[in-house]
Amino acid sequence: MIKISGLSFSYPNTQHNALKDIHLTIKSGTLVLVTGPSGSGKSTLLRCINGLVPHFSGGMIDGEIEVCGINPIRAGVKAMAECVGIVFQEPETQFVYDVVEDEIAFSLENKGIERKEMQKRVSGILEKLGLIELRQRKIRTLSGGEKQKVAIAGALVNQPQVLLLDEPTSQLDPIGAEQILDLIVSLKNDLDLTILLSEHRLERVLAYTDIIANLSQAGTLHSGLPDEILRDMDQVPPIVTIAKHLGIESFPIQPEAFPAVKFMKDIPPQNKRLDIHPVPSQNAISVHNLSVNLNGTQILDHVDLSFETGKIHTLVGLNGAGKTTLLRSIMGFVPFEGTIHILQQEVKQVELRTLIKHVAYLPQNPGDLLFADSVFEEMEITLKNHQLERERSAIIDFIAQFDLDDLANKYPRDLSVGERQRTALAAITIQDPKIILLDEPTRGMDYKAKRHLKAILTAWRNRGKTIIVVTHDIEFAALLADKVTILKSGRIVFSGSPETAFTQIPGFRTQTAQLFPGTDWTVPEDIPF
Amino acid sequence: MKHSKAWGAWLIVTMAIILSTRNPVYLLVLLISLLTLGSFFKRKDRTGLWLLQNLRFSGTMILLSSLINAIFTHTGKHVIFTIPVNWPLIGGPITLESLIFGMVNGLIIGSLYLAFNIFNLVLNIKQITGLIPKIFHPISITITIALTFFPSVQQRAKEIREAQLIRGNQMKRISDWLPLFLPLLITSLENAIVLSESMTARGYHSQRSAVPARIVTSSLIFSAFLIFSGWILGIYDYPILFSTGLYSIGGLVILIIFLYANRRVKITRYHHETWHRRDSFTVLLLVTAFVVWIVLQTGAKLPTAAYSVYPALSFPAVQVEGIVLSCTPIIPLPFLNK
Repeated sequence: MIKISGLSFSYPNTQHNALKDIHLTIKSGTLVLVTGPSGSGKSTLLRCINGLVPHFSGGMIDGEIEVCGINPIRAGVKAMAECVGIVFQEPETQFVYDVVEDEIAFSLENKGIERKEMQKRVSGILEKLGLIELRQRKIRTLSGGEKQKVAIAGALVNQPQVLLLDEPTSQLDPIGAEQILDLIVSLKNDLDLTILLSEHRLERVLAYTDIIANLSQAGTLHSGLPDEILRDMDQVPPIVTIAKHLGIESFPIQPEAFPAVKFMKDIPPQNKRLDIHPVPSQNAISVHNLSVNLNGTQILDHVDLSFETGKIHTLVGLNGAGKTTLLRSIMGFVPFEGTIHILQQEVKQVELRTLIKHVAYLPQNPGDLLFADSVFEEMEITLKNHQLERERSAIIDFIAQFDLDDLANKYPRDLSVGERQRTALAAITIQDPKIILLDEPTRGMDYKAKRHLKAILTAWRNRGKTIIVVTHDIEFAALLADKVTILKSGRIVFSGSPETAFTQIPGFRTQTAQLFPGTDWTVPEDIPF
Repeated sequence: MKHSKAWGAWLIVTMAIILSTRNPVYLLVLLISLLTLGSFFKRKDRTGLWLLQNLRFSGTMILLSSLINAIFTHTGKHVIFTIPVNWPLIGGPITLESLIFGMVNGLIIGSLYLAFNIFNLVLNIKQITGLIPKIFHPISITITIALTFFPSVQQRAKEIREAQLIRGNQMKRISDWLPLFLPLLITSLENAIVLSESMTARGYHSQRSAVPARIVTSSLIFSAFLIFSGWILGIYDYPILFSTGLYSIGGLVILIIFLYANRRVKITRYHHETWHRRDSFTVLLLVTAFVVWIVLQTGAKLPTAAYSVYPALSFPAVQVEGIVLSCTPIIPLPFLNK
């Protein structure tokens, strides 16, 4: 179905090859996982397959690609639309219409398909993807998972033979992600679709993968069966890490296939929290009877919660559970009933400019914060806003802890996802706040970037700061959380230790917990190898 | 009434009537008719705020328009007070005439806004853009994107503003708004690129035009030349038959090319709207009202429509037929779907 040979590509005005001498052959009905570190060219490779690269991007391309018997480099994107469907990372940016069925019919209208045929195809795809009930809903009222399904339906209604999915689960909670991946696999089997899916969170998709195409930072590609490729990969999901530790030759890619291993199950989690320097805890934030109603929808419903100093708290839950609203309530951005005390002061009584001296908040999109010409200037702007002064060397020392000192003069928007996230984090914390709120900080991050972030957060926690992380990334949450709160439909359904949350709560169990039921182990670091 | 074309007719007739009178009484009746019709829809949607919001908007328009006109236009005999004449731009007498003139402008703006507001209320974006002929498909898509893009840009602006407040930006001076404007512009551009990629990847504009562009262009140039020639002949007092003939031929060529090209465009529409009998009744009544209005106006039988405060201020005179025709916007009310 797809044959790529000797493909090299570089974007305009760069010397660096985004893709370098790529060879890849994919049979029809295969699900290929395209992986690799941030900036390794995953999205570029997907875009080459339907001709968006180089026809939209420009740049130098060399080599041959054949998809459905057509060469996208020569034929262009419009010709490839017949055979290849694509779903981009953020579905909401790709919608033309505001109603579900109108959006799905978009490509058919452009092709001039007869109305009856069009209605038949739209109804068929709505039914297949379980969207019948939503056909006349406004897209902006849908959840993240529903929007992703609409985007997939919009691509599939054209009956393509190849489907390209760029990080389709990056905005979804674990259950929503699993539903989307199940759907993708059923589509692959039912329609004999060839699917290329790029993803960072391998623990989510590995179980569904036929072939792995692993890109390196240099733009080279190694592809093959999961077993062959995982052996040489540095960044692997917990299940593979554990298998490697145990010397298991054939890597199981789903917990059910993991061989029985005998451990002394009563051994407590090993070394995950050895880096804690105990700091006497007190309540940094107390939330009492918090209710938020936005446009007639009850987002939070009588929430009682406290966040202690010197601890990392993680908030997890399904999309729309109210996690972000909770953070925004703490910042006083949404009207609420009940009380929130931050460092013994009532939020409603405190002006925002006073609050932000003690509380930093990293929103979901770091791009909302960054606008200066360099990383260094971003720091200067925050300091100026807070009427603080620092020597240049002090600023460089500060950004060095984020590993940004070499990037001080770089334009923030040119950085990789992880680097941009760290720049935003540095920009909101340079005034040394006591409390740090992070909303989905690992979105689009590779394993290396996540480890770096974990190190920063752990160091802050050890210095007595209070950190609250909202995340869908269960493995990341398990790696760093001291306390976990699970929200569901605006209510707290669990608040307690990570060991309990990530080993016992259905839908939130980590891979490690699934492999070793009955233990308190949540991440590979807990296991007494 | 449900069909988008029937609502299109309603909008055209309503706008034509609003724009062809300056009588404040008729304009007030038009405004009340529109508010009545609009509040009927909103009651169906259980949103009582609509009436209040639109009353507030119309009131603000009338007030602002009156004040601005009074401050900048100093014509009139009834002086209320005088701003020192040495004050640049605004210096001079504030007159009752200019206040009333501005108020009439405000009534027109408020009524037009309400007419479009109701039009947006009853039709969705797809129906509105569906009224645009297929030959202008790219324009209809552009309008659709603009209409769907606007709420998302508003949302993004709100998020970015919050993010900047968190960084300590007080957002008080104009220069403080740069951190809002730049990320908003950049993300909007980035999103626009993704959208164009997505549209192209889904086959947008993948069909070649069935009518060669050179035929369309040369025909349009030819017809424009005919219309221009007719206008020139009219200026130089040639018999009216010449210019009328050239206008007609030019217009006919444009119409033929337009219809021909429109039929050959291979874009199809997903939705099929059924034309009901009540749509026919409504359109018939709307067209009748419009024709009567035009006949009365051109036959100088409705002189009260052309009220003016100049040269002498007077109370606006009214005629029964003027009042009745000003209720035209309310015609769809009995024919709405239950």
